[in-house]
Amino acid sequence: MEGSEYIVEMKHITKRFPRIVANNDVSLSIKKGEIYALLGENGAGKSTIMSVLFGMYEPDEGEIYIRGEKVNITSPRQATKLGIGMVHQHFKLVSNYTVAENIILGSEPQNKLCGIIPHVDIKKANADIAALSEQYGLKVDPTSVISEVNVSTQQRVEILKMLYRDAEILIFDEPTAVLTPQEIEYLLEIIRGLRANGKTVIIITHKLEEIKAIADRCAILNHGRLIDVKDVKETSTSEMARLMVGREVSFTVDKTEAQPGGTVLKVENLTVCNELGLEAVKDVSFEIRSGEIFALAGVSGNGQNELADAIAGIKPVKKGRVLLNSRDITGMTIRERIEDGMAYIPEDRQKVGLVMGYSLKDNLAIKNYYNARFSNHKIIKEEAFEEHGDRLINAYDIRSSEGNKTIVRAMSGGNQQKAMIAREIDMNGKLIIFMQPTRGLDVGAISNVHKSIIAERDRGAAVLLISLELDEVMNCADTIGVIFDGRINKIAKASELSVNEVGEYMMGVSATGVSAKGGDAE
Amino acid sequence: MIDTIIIDGLTFALPMFIMAVGGIFSEKSGITNLAVEGLQGFGAFTGALVMVIMMNSMGNGTQVPYYMSFVAAALGGMLYALVHVILCVKFNGNQVISGVVVNILAMSLTSFLTRRINADFFGQTSNKFILETSIRFDVPVLSGIPVLGAAFTSVYPFEILIIVVAIIAWYVMYRTPYGMHLRACGDNPHAADAAGIDVKKVRTVAVVLSGGLSAIGGMSYAYSISANFSPDIYLGFGYLAIAALIFGNWSILPTLGACLLFGFARSSGQAIIQKLGMPSTFNDLVRTLPYVVTLLLLVFFSKNNRSPRALGEIYDKGKR
Repeated sequence: MEGSEYIVEMKHITKRFPRIVANNDVSLSIKKGEIYALLGENGAGKSTIMSVLFGMYEPDEGEIYIRGEKVNITSPRQATKLGIGMVHQHFKLVSNYTVAENIILGSEPQNKLCGIIPHVDIKKANADIAALSEQYGLKVDPTSVISEVNVSTQQRVEILKMLYRDAEILIFDEPTAVLTPQEIEYLLEIIRGLRANGKTVIIITHKLEEIKAIADRCAILNHGRLIDVKDVKETSTSEMARLMVGREVSFTVDKTEAQPGGTVLKVENLTVCNELGLEAVKDVSFEIRSGEIFALAGVSGNGQNELADAIAGIKPVKKGRVLLNSRDITGMTIRERIEDGMAYIPEDRQKVGLVMGYSLKDNLAIKNYYNARFSNHKIIKEEAFEEHGDRLINAYDIRSSEGNKTIVRAMSGGNQQKAMIAREIDMNGKLIIFMQPTRGLDVGAISNVHKSIIAERDRGAAVLLISLELDEVMNCADTIGVIFDGRINKIAKASELSVNEVGEYMMGVSATGVSAKGGDAE
Repeated sequence: MIDTIIIDGLTFALPMFIMAVGGIFSEKSGITNLAVEGLQGFGAFTGALVMVIMMNSMGNGTQVPYYMSFVAAALGGMLYALVHVILCVKFNGNQVISGVVVNILAMSLTSFLTRRINADFFGQTSNKFILETSIRFDVPVLSGIPVLGAAFTSVYPFEILIIVVAIIAWYVMYRTPYGMHLRACGDNPHAADAAGIDVKKVRTVAVVLSGGLSAIGGMSYAYSISANFSPDIYLGFGYLAIAALIFGNWSILPTLGACLLFGFARSSGQAIIQKLGMPSTFNDLVRTLPYVVTLLLLVFFSKNNRSPRALGEIYDKGKR
């Protein structure tokens, strides 16, 4: 096998978990110096196959060859020795250590105090890392503490960790999921730089534009099987999407003209404070009518979370009023709001939306378990829970290994999101708040969520859609509001605004023609 | 009077400090260690046993048994700490329960063994190992300084030992690769694992070291408080050491401050009682002073405390 052109060859890899085959006879061959993308829906087995390569799982069947030599990778440590590095979706960093300490952890440069007493040479580490960061254009300050730097810097630290260990094969697991558009641009630039330095990059993603932008070749997985390997230059995004989902996917949302009715939600001069006691939402007023989708656009952290939480009753209101169907609900409890017809899909489904340790059926009934439908004299009716669960599972195609008894934690992120959306929509609310409803979902699931949002509008609900994705706002909205620094600085009909105009309002520029350059990516 | 307060305060504070440093080693690696109490007691037991045996065979007039008793105590504490390691690190048991079990087991095991050994080998009915009274000395020159000189007056040798060991412990914790791995395991074991560090190994060593350090503290108390080993060693100073390390925010120097505060609270209380000529029954009340101080500190300082992030969490490699 001497002189093989492939640096990584995985042959007939099969990995089984209880009740599911995560990888079924997958073979991948990756050339040295290329950017190789792994594309697939949530739960297609992309992360599993890379975890096998990184030594976190041992395959049940199949062989791995690195630089033409057969290897048996049993631990990340061994993978590191073979020159394989991985940036996980959830970073593995020590929060109270500096950037440099995190990078050198496990392979610390040492020196001897007075020639005898060994110690970690942190000065050398700082200098080495500064040099490495210079070489690859990865801006970091070696001495800043991890818990005080932003996500994008943390990711660069993860990349430097691999480079510090002389990794040649770099695996990125959904690296852009947590980044802003500017940060994504910067990251893609970095990845190109890595290729220019002779590194081999494997990137796991379900974002087609990114693949188009940087990858050389792309392997498409579906339900644990390898569907095809495509040359990215010669394949259209719609072709890739079709292979990934297994059916045609439309990128545009079909919807008819809105038929708005009476006002459902009225927010008057609302001011809300964040955890630090600072005003995050400042004197905001708007209203949403039934049969209308009001999309709130904005860059992350401009008060969207606080606004949604205040309307839902999770955060207290400092000033102003919230009216639902002309009734002042400002001081009401969350349950009263739910009974008044408010449904809320929060951004953080794991912390706020679902009880991760509960079964699917319990989660689906959690907002109305106390109704006569589900309980009898304070005793829960188990059959009613199951029946309700099964109905939603079928209606919304929620996939899980053990049906309504599956513990939610064990479900994939996309299916957790589906479950939450199913529960909220099923309540037939008058107002539905969707906060980042498609975050972390693949194209197929996104288009389904958009269809549900529009179906709810057509049923006559008022929809508040809060999204960081400008495309989503432009595609779904009837009315667009733009929030910047806690204030809504523009409200207009969707048809009257262009993408660029919305983008400018998002950067805090009023339509006076001053263009925002750079912006505050932090 | 000030002299007595300083001398007694240090005698009480330093053994507690080294126990607390032991606790810090374990907790910084992510393993909750309520077992300090039992570890110091078990260490004092093995140390006292070795002391008694050596005194019998070597006779008086040498300091060797005195120092050997500390070595033996440390080894005994390390060995006994393996119980906590097996329960928490090897089998992922609940660390709080394991700590309590280790304490209760130490208490009953050591009193049982002390009685049996006394009966079977020394032909006595006693639950004590009588130790030789420790020598004390004045540090030349320094003890002559007004007021502060008291800190260098009638010093127990173990006080010097504790300071030296604590400096080494600090160096290991903050300057060596092992210390770096240890602190990483307590903040994010997954990160440590991904960096190729064997989390279980690091934690095993940390808990074992914790046992050794706690034992040095226990042995010191055996010499200073009663000049013998008996079940009276379990007075709760191990728990107080845990309180001290929490106030010290899991850092070695601030923990020394907390220990000194406890020590001086206790010694000044005693001094006041003597000064006022109150009956000795009030002594029991004074002994509660460090605990009262603990409670007050808890009220005021708890909110500024940041425990190691992964403290007490069971580390399961497979979990993502």
